[in-house]
Amino acid sequence: MYLLYSFRLALQSLWREKWINLLSVLTIAAGLFMITLTLFVVYNIDLATKRLPARFSVMLYLNDGLSEQETGSIIAQLKKNNAVEQARYIAKDKALEELKGVLKNADYILEGIDENPLPASIEIKLKKESVNIASVKKFAAEIKKIKSIAEVEYGEQFLNSIHSIKGMAKAGSLSLIIIMSAGVIFVCYSTIKIAFYRRKEEIETFKLLGATRGFIRAPFVIEGSVLGMFGGIASMAAALAFYHVLFYKVTATIPILKILVFPFETFPALPIVGLLLGIGGAVIALGRIRFS
Amino acid sequence: MIHFSNVTKFYERQAAIKNITFSVEKGEMIFMTGPSGAGKSTLLKIIYLSEKPDEGSVTIAEWDLSKLKESSIPFLRRNIGVVFQDFRLLDNRNVFDNVAIALRIRGMLDSEIQDWVMEILKMVNLRHKADSFPQALSGGEQQRVVIARAIVGEPTILLADEPTGNLDPDTAAGITRLFKEINARGTTVVIATHNRELYRNTGRRVFRIDSGNIVGEEIG
Ligand SMILES: Nc1ncnc2c1ncn2[C@@H]1O[C@H](COP(=O)(O)OP(=O)(O)O)[C@@H](O)[C@H]1O
Ligand SMILES: [Mg+2]
Repeated sequence: MYLLYSFRLALQSLWREKWINLLSVLTIAAGLFMITLTLFVVYNIDLATKRLPARFSVMLYLNDGLSEQETGSIIAQLKKNNAVEQARYIAKDKALEELKGVLKNADYILEGIDENPLPASIEIKLKKESVNIASVKKFAAEIKKIKSIAEVEYGEQFLNSIHSIKGMAKAGSLSLIIIMSAGVIFVCYSTIKIAFYRRKEEIETFKLLGATRGFIRAPFVIEGSVLGMFGGIASMAAALAFYHVLFYKVTATIPILKILVFPFETFPALPIVGLLLGIGGAVIALGRIRFS
Repeated sequence: MIHFSNVTKFYERQAAIKNITFSVEKGEMIFMTGPSGAGKSTLLKIIYLSEKPDEGSVTIAEWDLSKLKESSIPFLRRNIGVVFQDFRLLDNRNVFDNVAIALRIRGMLDSEIQDWVMEILKMVNLRHKADSFPQALSGGEQQRVVIARAIVGEPTILLADEPTGNLDPDTAAGITRLFKEINARGTTVVIATHNRELYRNTGRRVFRIDSGNIVGEEIG
């Protein structure tokens, strides 16, 4: 097989133009690092929105004067609903107590109120998968039909904004990743294109001596993949440095950032992604090899 | 081995080859002669598939060129060794590598190549120059490197375009001897030249070409 020789040609060419190639590697690394940063941001947004369902609840306010039996049957009915994870009954007294707890020293506000103005309520925690706009709306509509429920309240605004933040993050990151990937491919493309033109004469001779397309392409594809892979390795180093600075230096002054999580599992993928983008750029640069 | 039948080749609107018909048998050594611009190089280029004929049909070693798939071209070319008029040596490689490349293209490994390339270099009397670069060689030496590269893959056909172009008579005689030797081993040889010294008293067929036509055939 000629591949061994192709590797030799590729390495010779990479070495001959080492400074230009180093520049390409750094550019590729910058692009891949941006992709890593984007993934880091999206990953954390995703994580944050995944933690939210635990805090999200739907409040049902009950009519006054319901018997124990009636509230019991409402709770039983709720628990049968597939979306419900947990339903907690909060009696009128308990509600007032909780309010006092919240107001603490400001409980003078409640002075002079003889009758407990707060309604009894049921706090519902929904199952994780049901915490989204469509499911919650559907659920609210269903339970409104239950007799004796005065009002259903949930953070519609909150849900909406979570939804749109997630959507924007997704769209933004996806376009950024596509643009950056295209950029990396373009850098490989132009580097290989230049290398190909530099060796045009030699390639013409190879063709006349009976070289196949594979023989002509192989060194350039290898060059492209090496550039991409080294770019990937460099971006991995940059990502590790970024992680180090963020988690050991910056968090010392801004501790809240400790909640951020770094997706380490993406790191080993960087050289592979670089390699694939490099091959892509090289293949596009070579185009169709013609013999006549 | 080589059959041209009513072959015409145009460059822009000008015909470089006009309705040419001829055959070369297996194991033959023939000459193409004629003034500069007659169409000799074009004829050879058609044989090694660097140019496509516009009319007529060409058959090389049983391959009908009009039916040849493009992806098969490399494999046909490996049967044809070419001594290019402009040499086409690779300046950034030494003599050994310039010859070895013809075998590397065929997928042969260094271990298989080494001895055979040295053997061929010995045959063209350049063994001692294996590590030199083309720029450091004389015209005759460069010519012999090109011949070595053309024959190292043991082609069935050897084409040579003005192989004694700028060489002194003694060196030219040496090159001619080399071609005879190669031909004696069974290789079909076609030599394009305007140098009559090359074919005089060879007893081989000589095609006289002028303005794209074969205007005569004689025995040298
Ligand atoms: N690539 C080309 N483009 C246009 N005209 C060409 C080309 N190659 C050769 N010709 C013309 O074709 C004719 C034959 O050229 P060539 O085959 O090189 O002749 P020879 O080798 O006998 O000197 C000449 O008139 C030459 O100018
Ligand atoms: Mg010529």
